[in-house]
Amino acid sequence: MSDPLLRVEDLHKSYGDETVLRGIDFELERGDVEILSGPSGSGKSTLLRCVNRLTEPDSGTIYLDGERVSGAGTDVNELRRQVGMVFQDFNLFLHLTAAENITLGLRRVKGLGKAEARERAMEHLDRVGLADQAGSYPAELSGGQKQRVGIARALAMDPKLMLFDEPTSALDPELVGEVTSVMRELADEGMTMLVVTHEMGFAREAASRMMFLDQGQIVERGPPEQLFQHPEQARTAEFLQRITQLHGGEST
Amino acid sequence: MSYAEDLRRVRTREGRSVGSMVLIALGGLFWGYLLLRWLINWEWVPFGTPGEPLVSPETLGLTGGTATAFQSLPQLAEGAYITVLITVLSILLGLVLAVPLSVARVYGRWTKYLSLSFTELIRGTPLIAQLYLLYYGLNLSQFFRGLTQFGPFTVRTPVWAVDLGPLKVQTALWVALIGFTINSAAYQAEYIRSAIESVDPQQLVAARSVGLTQREGILHVVLPQTLRFAIPGWTNELVYLIKYSSLATFITVAELFRRADAVASDTFDYTAMFTVVALVYIGIVITATRLMGYVEDRVALPGLGQTRGRS
Ligand SMILES: Nc1ncnc2c1ncn2[C@@H]1O[C@H](COP(=O)(O)OP(=O)(O)OP(=O)(O)O)[C@@H](O)[C@H]1O
Ligand SMILES: [Mg+2]
Repeated sequence: MSDPLLRVEDLHKSYGDETVLRGIDFELERGDVEILSGPSGSGKSTLLRCVNRLTEPDSGTIYLDGERVSGAGTDVNELRRQVGMVFQDFNLFLHLTAAENITLGLRRVKGLGKAEARERAMEHLDRVGLADQAGSYPAELSGGQKQRVGIARALAMDPKLMLFDEPTSALDPELVGEVTSVMRELADEGMTMLVVTHEMGFAREAASRMMFLDQGQIVERGPPEQLFQHPEQARTAEFLQRITQLHGGEST
Repeated sequence: MSYAEDLRRVRTREGRSVGSMVLIALGGLFWGYLLLRWLINWEWVPFGTPGEPLVSPETLGLTGGTATAFQSLPQLAEGAYITVLITVLSILLGLVLAVPLSVARVYGRWTKYLSLSFTELIRGTPLIAQLYLLYYGLNLSQFFRGLTQFGPFTVRTPVWAVDLGPLKVQTALWVALIGFTINSAAYQAEYIRSAIESVDPQQLVAARSVGLTQREGILHVVLPQTLRFAIPGWTNELVYLIKYSSLATFITVAELFRRADAVASDTFDYTAMFTVVALVYIGIVITATRLMGYVEDRVALPGLGQTRGRS
């Protein structure tokens, strides 16, 4: 198949009078790791949420793996099954243990039996280095551990695409590394990822491309080194410089 | 699992004070006596006479109000049975109604308004008026007695509703159960609604993001958290219900308060009778709050649903 994994066409979204996304077009190839960057309020989270339709776009079309997944006659739950999402505030199910956070989707959505779901959950916890925390509740985990469970929960559903919305922004600086290293492994394994992050170290090392969003539009897009070193737009240059000062360009 | 056990172990070690031992002993006596009287009343034990004390007050040298109260204890025990029955069944059936009502209220589109209207109607009118409407207005107890004429319709009552077998309850009790269930459903729906609203909305978003439907998300993620938040409010409602079940006396249900009232107006020993009946209510209420505290501990999870201190 030559279709891109994800194609977003002319996406628009407003909240009341406020236009948040004004005509977003882009494609992601299989295995792409794309960083989505831009100032606060530029619409990054809204764009991610539109991709798996946690927010319904006003207009525009989304194709996943060559199939239209937005608009009339499409099954939103089917789309979400194929797209994993990782949240800034983890959003683990508070009443469930780390393992149960993962088995819930496997059982209800994938229809796995109890034992099989449990086994799969353990594999995924192991993959993020948390097999020994399977029985812990979210309140008993550190931020970094919570986020790794969040990643495992999304991965367990076998998504074609993973969305990350500032996965490390709520973490203490010393915990950022454990999450970005899991993400980097994932990128190495060929997962297609769309990542909103200010971790420029991760962007430089793991990203294949980077897009810069401002006021609901993609202002500039290209390989990370190009955006860092020869940005075409003054806005991009200024923003990336500020972000790099804040969040460090050196590797983590 | 291990957490609930830990919590309980900590609690019980702290809680094994003389005071709580005394309370447990009193509770044992209280419920032991009630149970004994219920068994005698149903003639499930080969001794005792329904309604008669095992030892007469004269033998114990009791006189006046104390004697009257002692003599009436078996009847109060029978009344307590009805009170407990009304309370337990109404709170549970009410809960079954309250969960969908509150879910509709928070997530429903048009069902939201149905739920809101129901809740406001019930909470906005006196309970006694609701009971009178059911009992005198709709004449529901006729229905529970057998064939009933409802306007042009003749309704045949199912046999199980007429005859409760060994429990020998009045048909009016059914009316009370319906009334209290409806009433309690409305109040519980409010408690549960506010508990639903205290669950982080992002929990449902996360559920949707793994592909669960809205319905599944509510069922498996929102409600399990909600019910933990709802327990304190629910306990409150239970305590109220125990006491306002006494309004059933006005539709002739022979519950606890009515028994005491009947004896008091026969003997004029008002002080003794209403003091004793108050103690019986207190016994039931304290048991209920203790049980709910236990339930709360049992279902508590780290970071969720503990309202009482954990050191
Ligand atoms: N549910 C909503 N209702 C109304 N307005 C919203 C909603 N979600 C987002 N917005 C608005 O849309 C704009 C873009 O928000 P969005 O969260 O997408 O920005 P962002 O780029 O992710 O910013 P940040 O870096 O702060 O997370 C903001 O002005 C925000 O106030
Ligand atoms: Mg955001």
